Amino acid sequence: MHAFEAQDIRKSYGGVHALRGVGLAVRPGSVHALLGENGAGKSTLVKIMTGVTRPDSGVLRLDGREVAFANTAEAAENGVAVVSQELSLFPHLSLLSNLFPMREPRKGLLIDKREMLRRAEPILDQLGVDAAPGTLVQELSLADRQLVEIAKALVTEPRVLLLDEPTSALEGGATDRLLDILRVLRSRDVGVVFVSHILQEVMSVCDEVTVLRDGAMALSADPIANHSVPTLVKAMIGDKVVATETVARTDVAELAGTAEGALVVDGLALGSGVHDVNLTVKPGEIVGLVGLAGSGPTDVLRALAGIVKPTAGTVTLPGGRPAPKGHRAHVAAGVAYVSGDRRRYGLMLEKPIWENMVQVRSMGMSRDGAFLRKGALLERARGHVARVGIKVGSLEDDVSSLSGGNQQKVVMAKWLDNAPSVLLLDDPTRGVDVGARAEIHGLLRGASNGGSVVLMCSTDLEEVVAACDRVVVFYRGRPVAELVGPQITTRTMLELVNTGAPEEQAA
Amino acid sequence: MKGTVMSQRVKVDAPAATPPEGGPRNPLSSLLRSGLRIRALTGADWFSALAALALLIAVIGLMNPAFLNSTQLINVVQQSVYIALMAAGIAFLVTQGEVDLSVAGNYVLTGIVASMLIQGGMNTWVAAAIALGCAVAVGALNALIVQGIGINSLIATLAMGWVLRGLAAALSEGKQIIGMPVDDAFFRILGGEKILGLPVSVWILIVVISALTVLLRSTPFGYRVREIGSNEDAARFAGIPVNRTKTLAFLLSGGLAGLAGLLGLAFFTSGDPTSGGGFELFAVAGAVIGGNPLTGGTATIFGAAIGAILLKTVGVGLVYFSIPAVWSQFATGAIIILAVSLNGLMARRKQRRRET
Repeated sequence: MHAFEAQDIRKSYGGVHALRGVGLAVRPGSVHALLGENGAGKSTLVKIMTGVTRPDSGVLRLDGREVAFANTAEAAENGVAVVSQELSLFPHLSLLSNLFPMREPRKGLLIDKREMLRRAEPILDQLGVDAAPGTLVQELSLADRQLVEIAKALVTEPRVLLLDEPTSALEGGATDRLLDILRVLRSRDVGVVFVSHILQEVMSVCDEVTVLRDGAMALSADPIANHSVPTLVKAMIGDKVVATETVARTDVAELAGTAEGALVVDGLALGSGVHDVNLTVKPGEIVGLVGLAGSGPTDVLRALAGIVKPTAGTVTLPGGRPAPKGHRAHVAAGVAYVSGDRRRYGLMLEKPIWENMVQVRSMGMSRDGAFLRKGALLERARGHVARVGIKVGSLEDDVSSLSGGNQQKVVMAKWLDNAPSVLLLDDPTRGVDVGARAEIHGLLRGASNGGSVVLMCSTDLEEVVAACDRVVVFYRGRPVAELVGPQITTRTMLELVNTGAPEEQAA
Repeated sequence: MKGTVMSQRVKVDAPAATPPEGGPRNPLSSLLRSGLRIRALTGADWFSALAALALLIAVIGLMNPAFLNSTQLINVVQQSVYIALMAAGIAFLVTQGEVDLSVAGNYVLTGIVASMLIQGGMNTWVAAAIALGCAVAVGALNALIVQGIGINSLIATLAMGWVLRGLAAALSEGKQIIGMPVDDAFFRILGGEKILGLPVSVWILIVVISALTVLLRSTPFGYRVREIGSNEDAARFAGIPVNRTKTLAFLLSGGLAGLAGLLGLAFFTSGDPTSGGGFELFAVAGAVIGGNPLTGGTATIFGAAIGAILLKTVGVGLVYFSIPAVWSQFATGAIIILAVSLNGLMARRKQRRRET
């Protein structure tokens, strides 16, 4: 008997078939993986199962009884809770208040805070949220917010829990705790649906796997024991030839600027506690900075982009120029900072694709004079579409109509458009599918071969292995180790970021 | 997340991504193009305001055919020039999520400053230039308070409007500044002279609207304005000087309010500290109704002017419908609420259609 079941679900958006007759059946006391590339229909299916959207046809069954949820609140009342990809917390309210939106326990007319605490505390403990329940959500780190989001689902004591890529914002330790919690939920007979990009997680925690491909079923509730990471990847992408190997895009090389010499960081210190950072990055190499959240890599990258002001030390840009002051001056000096948070820092979602692509050079820097001709801008954007390999219908479409991978490529294009000699990338493939990720790495390699200095951070160590020639590991605010070539393995990096390699410290 | 496009196919399909506008010129494609042009026209942000204006003129004309004569219509446009100029300036701010409610005060003060200087014997054009400079300086002060100190532009410019109006009242001691040399070229040309049947002030509006449209559509500044409104964080990260762009927009808004003040002085031939009542409301509402949503990101200068003319037409129409004068403020306010609500409902419908 299945706890929750979706059968033959169909859904189309304006003629595009997002789902073409798919199903998902969760047994109580099991963790069920839902996999697929971006655009395969996972999120749509999750939205339908939790009452966010209605299917065109198909049925949902809860304990064999047919149900239709009008919204997520109704789904939650029926014991179906969801942790969605996008955070939906109220930043100005306390952590505790966020756990009980519209369903605060009451005592008469007043909210019963003691009851709220009684219910929330064990869950927060289990998740390892250290912050006090009264802390405002806006003061929490991204990882803690994600945990609060999960706690919010757990306080409803769901019988079925759907997690839509919950670990994308979590660091190693928090991810492990989450996976432990999934195991606890399983032992309590909860049916869990787990959507993730990270196949190792899936292999370690899930019992069964359903794979969607182009809105159709590729695998249906197959026991995970039948699978390995390669077979799952194959199920996700089918027979298509996938460039998971990085292939440098040489046509990008002509776009990227050439760095005359290395980027040199000498004795850099920042207000956030980062200190003693010495770093030299030569043109033609891709260097990765890794470390736990708050240990330094992201802060260093932001400092190199001119967003954060160093408290000590010097940064010398290629060609021996000292780094200027301020972010904009850095952009003008040929520094590009590509954020993985494309919705916030990368794109103007309601603007056409072409306008996003020419933004830095023509608008930000006014490098094309005081009078902009749309035809010329379109022509330039069209060239980038071909060079960067972006799949678009019309350049006039809003950039929000693109898939995550193509959106991120637009961000890459808009920076390459300004011919940067230093490329800084903060988690450049967040939420991007396997194929597009390899293509973005190809862009980086192309820019690097073209003579740019390339420096990246990533929370995904696999990505660092795939993309970087050299890795600098941070621990508690300073670099503690450097790995080159074959030394760069997920295992070595995991050890180093967590322990800081004491033998290096002693030296 | 959206779409079922697989990025692996890109290399094969990329050439097909070329949009059709560069295609061969055959009859079918040119027909398609003109069809697209009509759709672009009707889908433009200002179209519904223009349609509403035409409808309103037709309705008033039906009830009272005397309205439909060119002198009367030109009069309406002439009376709209002041708020249309202010609405055009406000469009640059609303698009970026800011607003300037000091425009009415700036309008009044400019008229008072210029008329007092002229009364004191100064050359009219020099006096006008000085007054215009003051208006731009007010814009700079607004920018300083909003950008420098970080005060919300709604409250900062609302209070600034009071300051300016109060200053105008104090300088003029609450009285009209009269005794202008009405035969002077300044008053003759800007106040009443017609070229090709249109008053000079209307020509000035047309020239300003055209120039500002080019500024908005085809210069880095214009793109920056709209991009800041679309996503300020992303704009800043792309190297767009957000503070400088907003400051320029405040200067522009101040300057346009000043220009309106000078045209008002030339037309009415006296500086009046009690004039310009409610102009800030008409200017903001005109900009919004014309297609400059308060949520920002898109802008139309032409629309802002049309919106302002639409509101003025309503005011004139009330006279034709013989609404008692004591009720006209009530009626005007109610109509603005109605118009802005309709505008909002239509925008939401458009948004929803885009999402499905």
